[in-house]
Amino acid sequence: MPTLHKVKLKVNGREFELEVPPHERLIDTLRYRLGLMGVKEGCGRGECGTCIVLINGEPRHSCLTLTARIDGSEVQTIEGLAPEGMLHAIQVAFIETGGIQCGFCTPGFIMVTKALLDRNPSPSDEEIREWLTSVLCRCGSYPYYELAVKRAAEYLRQGKVYFSEKEVREKLHMKVVG
Amino acid sequence: MSRPEYLEIVESIFEKTKHVRTDEFKYIGKRVVRWDAISKVTGQPIFAADLVKLVKNPVYVVSVRSKYAHALIKSVNVADAEKYPGVIKVFTAKDIPGINDIGYVIPDQPMIANYKVRYIGDTVALIAAESLENARDAAELVVVDYEPLPVYLDPLQIVDFETLQEKEHVLIHDERGTDILTRYRIRVGNVEKAFKEASVIVENVYKTPAQEHAYLEPEAAIAIPEPDGGVTIYAKTQCPFDVRRAVSNVLGLPYHMVRVIAPALGGGFGGAEDVGNEVAAKAALVALALKRPAVVIHTREESTIAHTKRHAMIAYYKHAASRDGRLLAVEARIVMDTGAYASLGPFVPWRATVHSTGPYRVENAKIDVVNVYTNKVPAGAFRGFGNPQVHFAVERQMDLLAEELGMDPVEFRLKNILRNGDRTVHGQLLDHGVGLEEALKRAVELSRYYEKKKLYESMTGRVRRGIGVAVMYHGNSIGAEGADYSAVSIIINRDGSITFRSGTTDMGQGSLMSLVLIAAEVLGVPPSYFRIEPPDTASVPDSGPTVASRVTVMTGNATLVAAYKLRQRLNTVATKMLGCKSPDDVVIEAPKVYCKDNPEKYITWRELVEQCFWEGVPLQEYGYFRAPRAEWHDETGTGQPYFTYTFGAIVSEVEVDLDTGVVRVIEATTVYDIGRVINRVGAELHAVGGYIQGMGYALMEDTYYSPDGRLLNLSFSTYHIPTILDEPSRINVDFVEAGYFRGPFGAKGLGEPSIVGVAPSIANAVAHALRDKRAKYDVNAIPLTPDFVYKIIRKHKIE
Repeated sequence: MPTLHKVKLKVNGREFELEVPPHERLIDTLRYRLGLMGVKEGCGRGECGTCIVLINGEPRHSCLTLTARIDGSEVQTIEGLAPEGMLHAIQVAFIETGGIQCGFCTPGFIMVTKALLDRNPSPSDEEIREWLTSVLCRCGSYPYYELAVKRAAEYLRQGKVYFSEKEVREKLHMKVVG
Repeated sequence: MSRPEYLEIVESIFEKTKHVRTDEFKYIGKRVVRWDAISKVTGQPIFAADLVKLVKNPVYVVSVRSKYAHALIKSVNVADAEKYPGVIKVFTAKDIPGINDIGYVIPDQPMIANYKVRYIGDTVALIAAESLENARDAAELVVVDYEPLPVYLDPLQIVDFETLQEKEHVLIHDERGTDILTRYRIRVGNVEKAFKEASVIVENVYKTPAQEHAYLEPEAAIAIPEPDGGVTIYAKTQCPFDVRRAVSNVLGLPYHMVRVIAPALGGGFGGAEDVGNEVAAKAALVALALKRPAVVIHTREESTIAHTKRHAMIAYYKHAASRDGRLLAVEARIVMDTGAYASLGPFVPWRATVHSTGPYRVENAKIDVVNVYTNKVPAGAFRGFGNPQVHFAVERQMDLLAEELGMDPVEFRLKNILRNGDRTVHGQLLDHGVGLEEALKRAVELSRYYEKKKLYESMTGRVRRGIGVAVMYHGNSIGAEGADYSAVSIIINRDGSITFRSGTTDMGQGSLMSLVLIAAEVLGVPPSYFRIEPPDTASVPDSGPTVASRVTVMTGNATLVAAYKLRQRLNTVATKMLGCKSPDDVVIEAPKVYCKDNPEKYITWRELVEQCFWEGVPLQEYGYFRAPRAEWHDETGTGQPYFTYTFGAIVSEVEVDLDTGVVRVIEATTVYDIGRVINRVGAELHAVGGYIQGMGYALMEDTYYSPDGRLLNLSFSTYHIPTILDEPSRINVDFVEAGYFRGPFGAKGLGEPSIVGVAPSIANAVAHALRDKRAKYDVNAIPLTPDFVYKIIRKHKIE
């Protein structure tokens, strides 16, 4: 048996002390130890972008990251984007722009959008495309996701960061919007 | 036999609503937020592999796959693998209690290979272990003694392209006695005579690649043993009823002992049509043998060799036209490559055959289509199902013909396309909504085709622009392939909420939303009253597969029927409660229910439901719809292959860099006649998403093999699909609603049609940009990769 590494991680605001083998990937720690199934594995090679999470605020492929190497880090996944009972503006914008199809890529796109808007609250069209190119979408929702990023940026510029999930559900879930 | 009630219901609702404009409906044609949007943006565990979270103490199942593309198995030695830490058992073909077969249409595909392997990807053993890691390690320890056989990667090694006769070779399917899977043909009119009388003849050879679905979610299945010897399976599948059939066969169990639930799918596009059978049957075999939950999760690489591809095609086409631009005759010889196993291979070339002359009036046709086995990853269903292949060839031919005639491609098409009252090449009378002319004219207008065509032809310099058009048609549902039925269940609960279940699945396409909109419109209750349950073979009648653009029309009709019956009952009870003059006067606008002439006096929806429960009026209904029978005569290729067709016109604009051969799509326009727009968001996403996927097919997607038969591009860095940087700067979308009298509110399907005409429109635009008449004949294959296009540019010295 390989030596287990003691790793301290702060994941979505919660502290964890884990003992992991040296080759354990962060995606497996998140999915199978912590049950954070919003982190998707589409390729396991850092190509599809569906597993992207924020490590100390940086967008990173969790499938290419070894848990043992990020001791002391702070990790954010889609589950931790907003406080309990709330939705983040980016999530609301992705719902409102109507581009969601199979949804497998959606967490990746949302996490990349978070990283982008944290750095640049008013990205240009080119910047949006350049950042979103790190995630693949086979259903072809790209044009809608571009609009979602712009809408999210607008919300954040207006200071609207979190929305009540209950209110969003009442307003949008299976509702006629146009 | 009297006409079934369900046909009466569907047709009468069409009659009643055919003059209603789509924007006059309350829910039909509206933008409605998907039922699962919130789950998806919050990363809820909704996909098959996510559900492992809910399973305790699972066994992990890993397939040991063949290292040879064509070989006899002399022996399989699992002794070392079984000794590996964590391994519980290694399964081989002899451990299968039922029938060792997972073939989708014909039984030609063992789940675990027994005496030979036919491609690099065949399963030779299954490892069941305590962890995925242990199972994968142990897979390396299974020793298989192979006797290699010649490997065939080119379908023209199997069949002669001129005569279409089988060549001498070592049979891949020796048990069948031939490696020709299917032949289809069309014999209409007198082709020889027509060619003699023609003024213009155009002939060329076309090639299209084996496209990979590249859905982002790799396959997964979780099987849970039940106390009575049955099994419950959560699997990535488009077709839970087909999974049930396959698992029942493999385990030797009756259907009711196998329960299949289809969670959300991370894309399907046809690829999840039969691979679900394989992953589910493997998990179920292990679960029942070891009495523990069993999990199969594919990696990207395993997914890519385990699920089928789009059939590659090579086709010779010859068209004739009169001087005034009338199409006179079509002759074609088409070879399709079905890979190592049939999968949907018996049906794909049939659809190709049916559509092989495009949406045109053709009175003389001689078409031969042959589908052959090779030692490659099997080809099966992929959005379009044989139709994008033949449309690529036909629509290139149309542009070449127009050029030879000195006509504009649009004018030439307008002279020959199918219209209401015409007959298809098969002799089928098109007696209802053919919106092709309107679609083409609107696409031309929206794209400003003529203006841009002139402008682009005057451009000089390194980067040229071109504009191309393609038209298409696509038979809805499965047609003469088999029994074509669908079903749903609607349960109105005592609190007025509604449980909705369809046996067709959601792979992202959102058509379950269309079903709810249909039910909501008929019942008069908002969509938010509904909950969409996952398809479950134990809870809804066999609905057939989720394929062939059939959900909106087929399951939509089943929904319409169920909702209509419930509405009749509700109206009767409401009439008594409110004192309306007739049940037809009842207006339901939940939460209000009132008589048409007195909206002030109302009861609530919940009160009405409660009254039904008191009176014993049942508020649950199974909806069922069986499509009108299709008809096909094998000898002549005539009949009524499909009950209706979706039509469309696509205009693409491209930039071609003459120094590099790089092609970029800069703008696209799609107009589809889908009878009636039911789910506006879904329809637009299909038009856009189908375009982008079709653009990948046209420009970048192909599979490559090593000489010994190993698929080389198994990952996204080697198999390129469009990224956001490839998207056109603008995609114009519009719809024509030419109403099908046997569709729900007149609707037809759009799932597959949205990819069919994309590649030829892009190729036509590239040919237009190249301008050189001879070079255009060389734009005869996709993908139009930079090196392919660059070779054409160099060969014809285009500057």
